[in-house]
Amino acid sequence: MRFMLLFSRQGKLRLQKWYVPLGDQEKRRLGRELVQTILGRKAKMCSFLEWRDLKVVYKRYASLYFCCAIEEQDNELITLEVIHRYVELLDKYFGSVCELDIIFNFEKAYFILDEFLLGGEAQETSKKSVLKAIEQADQLQENIDFQMRLFPAPS
Amino acid sequence: MSDVVERTLTALPSLLSSDPSPGRPSSTSKLGTLIRGITELTSKHDEEKLIQRELVSIKEQVSSPNTTMRQMKELMVRAVYCEMLGYEASFSYIHAIKLAQQGTALDKRVGYLAVSLFLNESHELLLLLVNTVLKDLQSTNLIEVCMALTVVGQVFPKDMIPAILPMVEEKLNHPKEIIRRKAVLALYKFYLIAPNQVQHIHSKFRKALCDKDPGVMSASLHIYLEMVTEKPEGYKDLVVSFVTILKQVVGGKLPIDFNYHSVPAPWLQIQLLRILSLLGKNDRSTSEMMYEVLDESLRRAEMNHNITYAILFECVKTIYTIHPKAELLEKAAKCIGNFVLSPKINLKYLGLKALTYVVQQDANLALQHQMTIIECLDHSDLIIKRETLELLFRITNGQNVKVIVEKLLEFLRHSKDDYVTIDLGGKVTELAEKYPSEMI
Repeated sequence: MRFMLLFSRQGKLRLQKWYVPLGDQEKRRLGRELVQTILGRKAKMCSFLEWRDLKVVYKRYASLYFCCAIEEQDNELITLEVIHRYVELLDKYFGSVCELDIIFNFEKAYFILDEFLLGGEAQETSKKSVLKAIEQADQLQENIDFQMRLFPAPS
Repeated sequence: MSDVVERTLTALPSLLSSDPSPGRPSSTSKLGTLIRGITELTSKHDEEKLIQRELVSIKEQVSSPNTTMRQMKELMVRAVYCEMLGYEASFSYIHAIKLAQQGTALDKRVGYLAVSLFLNESHELLLLLVNTVLKDLQSTNLIEVCMALTVVGQVFPKDMIPAILPMVEEKLNHPKEIIRRKAVLALYKFYLIAPNQVQHIHSKFRKALCDKDPGVMSASLHIYLEMVTEKPEGYKDLVVSFVTILKQVVGGKLPIDFNYHSVPAPWLQIQLLRILSLLGKNDRSTSEMMYEVLDESLRRAEMNHNITYAILFECVKTIYTIHPKAELLEKAAKCIGNFVLSPKINLKYLGLKALTYVVQQDANLALQHQMTIIECLDHSDLIIKRETLELLFRITNGQNVKVIVEKLLEFLRHSKDDYVTIDLGGKVTELAEKYPSEMI
């Protein structure tokens, strides 16, 4: 996968993950133009796009657009499922996820994305093990928090 | 839609109240304030002003010696947010690295995340990260090892690979499967950016392929796909292993966890299909080893879910790439037919794509569906139209070239996309050269 973008219906970026090295200017320009192109498509149209020299797969879930740019030889349908799986993971983690969860906890959304898609490739790990890995890290944080409350550091 | 509104409205009061939920650091409310501030503004100019003010405040705080790691974490999150909106915050890069170095648990995690989002491989600051990663790889805390491996798999400077390679290799034998899996993926990343550095450990990849944990095994497939793409002859001896694994997956022998909507390990199946198609190309004896399992995959993927269509599509592609076998070709052709005739627009698109792919081998198939193809020419979705034109381009012959060129020109007249214009224009010229007499 080359990159994944999440954006709202007004075109506001909620998450971006780039798996190819590109300059900042380039990223911003690409992102903006792609967002406009996708927002211009109608509801019943194909989820796949050949835009510039990229293959793009996108899907809208409620008020959020999930959009991935993939390699020439990648399978478009499976990318749709990658998006779906990611949404399922978010849903399980946040408990009935909505756009606000992703906006205010975007770093958690990134953690989950990184567990599932490492280096741009979807990992065939069970849903359980991805979420378990995140939970363990959260648990570690809670333990440390608890310790710090019992024994606050001297100011 | 109203369901979402309802949930939003119920969530708002807790978000707007200033006392944080127990156990959660109060720092997240600062990010909340920033976000709410931005959503309230209407003009881009106001947003710029607000963000610039925010960036100045962040800059001050990160440079102050009194900032704790906890506060630094929160500042990094805000900096990431600002960069995401398109504003530059490069002063925070070095602090992200420091956070990864000095923070613990979640602070470290956010530090690593910020680094992977801010920097790319060629950035000079990345060298500073290497020591931190080395230290974390040796940590007794497994979660820190995981974090280090995750970041290595995403951004790592090419020149420092030799420094870290032995430690990553060591992790391949770790008792915990999540660490083995991440180690394999880190090596995959190394292979992509510096293939000669990892030449000597091919035997370790083989071990990963036979790993008892399916996650580790599927991670090794990414590397194998790359290696097989480059040099298929070198891996013909592994065909038996790949076929066996695919058989087991399709037969439902994997733990039930790996099922995705009652389909066993779809991503794994697709990776294997791709590898097999590369290995079986132009090689009759190798292809013969695969026919059975391909037949089985086709049969099993009969259900009506997007994911089974994905597997079917990949199967069909594989069948047409390897040495041909009549029965399989027949079944695959039927599949393509189903796709093209499907009312679901995504499947139609893929059906057309598949037809384009196979039309060189089997021109009859396109003829069978010519009514549908003609319908698609006038489809409201431009993408479908374009794909149809691609297909027509492939089946051009002396008789139909005039009609096809007319349609291409018509599309070109309405096209606003430069890339499309160049591409199709090129095709028209090609046809003109091939059939000069008909063009008049």
